[in-house]
Amino acid sequence: MSYELRSHTADVAVAATGDDLGETVAAVADGLAAAMCDEIPETGERFSLTVRAEGLEALLFDYLDQLIYERDVRGVLPVANEASVREAGEGWMVAASARGVPLADVTARDVKAVTYSEMRIEEADSEEPRSSSSRPEADDDGWEAYVVLDV
Amino acid sequence: MTTREFDGIQLERVREFVWEIPQEGDMRVPARVLASEALLDEIGGDKTLQQLKNATHLPGITGHALCMPDGHQGYGFPVGGVGATDVEEGCISPGSVGYDINCGVRMMTTNLTYDDVRGHEEELVEALFANVPSGLGGGGVVESGIDTVEAVLSRGVDWALEEGWAVEDDLTHCEDEGVRPDADPGAVSQKAKDRGKNQLGSLGSGNHFLEVQRVTDIYRDDVADAYGLEPDQVVALIHCGSRGLGHQTCTDYLRKIEKRHGDLLADLPDKELAAAPAGSELAEEYYGAMCACINFAWVNRQLIMHRVRQVFERVFDRSWESMDMHLLYDVAHNIAKKEVHTVQGEERELYVHRKGATRAFPAGHPEVPAAYRDVGQPIIIPGSMGAGSYVLRGGEASMDLTFGSTAHGAGRLMSRTQAKQEFWGETVQDELREQNEVYVKAQSGATVAEEAPGVYKDVDEVVRVSDALDIGDKVARTFPICNIKG
Repeated sequence: MSYELRSHTADVAVAATGDDLGETVAAVADGLAAAMCDEIPETGERFSLTVRAEGLEALLFDYLDQLIYERDVRGVLPVANEASVREAGEGWMVAASARGVPLADVTARDVKAVTYSEMRIEEADSEEPRSSSSRPEADDDGWEAYVVLDV
Repeated sequence: MTTREFDGIQLERVREFVWEIPQEGDMRVPARVLASEALLDEIGGDKTLQQLKNATHLPGITGHALCMPDGHQGYGFPVGGVGATDVEEGCISPGSVGYDINCGVRMMTTNLTYDDVRGHEEELVEALFANVPSGLGGGGVVESGIDTVEAVLSRGVDWALEEGWAVEDDLTHCEDEGVRPDADPGAVSQKAKDRGKNQLGSLGSGNHFLEVQRVTDIYRDDVADAYGLEPDQVVALIHCGSRGLGHQTCTDYLRKIEKRHGDLLADLPDKELAAAPAGSELAEEYYGAMCACINFAWVNRQLIMHRVRQVFERVFDRSWESMDMHLLYDVAHNIAKKEVHTVQGEERELYVHRKGATRAFPAGHPEVPAAYRDVGQPIIIPGSMGAGSYVLRGGEASMDLTFGSTAHGAGRLMSRTQAKQEFWGETVQDELREQNEVYVKAQSGATVAEEAPGVYKDVDEVVRVSDALDIGDKVARTFPICNIKG
């Protein structure tokens, strides 16, 4: 799994890849942390979160939104994200965890919110974006995602 | 006819500084960009024009979708966007207000001159930085529980007055006297309130800042008189918004609309334009929630302003009242308001979405505070740390051309990622100090690099276009002395 911060006139975008959906969304979450902080120390306790949504894009949106919420109410920067994604009923679910670095330990900048602008989450190199009804099994090329964050 | 084309989007020159994208396909109205050739070249350089075209798809949009001279790519509606939708047959669009509801700017005047402050810059910037919370996790000017948040959401600056963080005069110099009567705190989620609890009275980061400035130029003596501005005078400028509470509120409604009005959303070219149909339950709820967030943002800026008064008292060893530290005005950048406008000879009530745009009502408009009704509403347009800021007044042509709106700033030119490659925070800080006598202090060096003067458009050019179109007329120019940011 890996992520890259990409240029955007006013905001910051994250492009991420992973072998499966869980790795991919966790990589986006690591990109979210990188957009807020350049040097991340080894401090902080891990915490867990579970998010459900009606589709894959909505799941990615809600997952990142929940991390931003946890950041503000816990006063921590969520880093070293781990996640697994599976279908749940009519929708999708992500079970995730992060290490919460106390904000007092870092010099961090605000990311205000996650946006749907130009959002993509799909199988790498696929001709057609995978619909939210298809199965999230890993294949050779893995998955990729792109998210614009409001700074 | 002069035409220009960017990435397949054609613009026709209507007259000087007015460019039109003609209506085609599913566009409900044409779009207009107000810009000089030089600014248009920059605006055409990213996805601004495509986003502006997309915005013309909003149900009930009236007249034109507009891009102000400082426009640039955002998400959904471009930044610098103005879109008016019918209150009865149109929609209200949280994505076209933006995440930072009532992000805005206020200016406070003083009776100090630049000479009074010289020699104290270092002390002043340190004291402001130490006393005005900024960055991530820096807390707020007040420690607030949920009851405080509720009171702020419903009562706005009235709450601050009661708690001793404002004086009557602050209310009479703020839009709506600092209180949106349509606010519905019950429509703001618990999650949003939880985020707002420890951020009341804080700058945040990104492009938000607090600046002490000096007036360098006066362009209209009579209006400057009415605004209490004179050459060499020291003023303070505060730029921030509704913090996590507002960001969460926009996010919440974007998702609610997506779930409940998926059919409407399916017809829009960008999910971030998510809109609730006029008259729907969600449209009413969002309007109430947004108005509550407007109150929160006003109180946020009020608390910071009052803290600045206290810092000045300590640094200059006299009372703030004796330094005549008065609120000049407070303008909102990200807002949708029910306003009455004349469209093709007919009076209509519209939701005027301003996303990175400033209301610019002219002299005589009943919604301009009594103190300024004879000269027009003050408009404050901040430039970068190394450029001037401007005070304008609402122009006579604004009601006809832009639903009473003008620009909100210099507008970004360069991405944050690129800025960090081109600039180094400490170098930017040193150069500003040595070449411009501007004292900058920030939580993060990266923020200084991301906000370096070179990443912004030419604010002089933005203001020149506003002035020439008579949507916002130049009154005064200011230049930074001290700047703090997150």
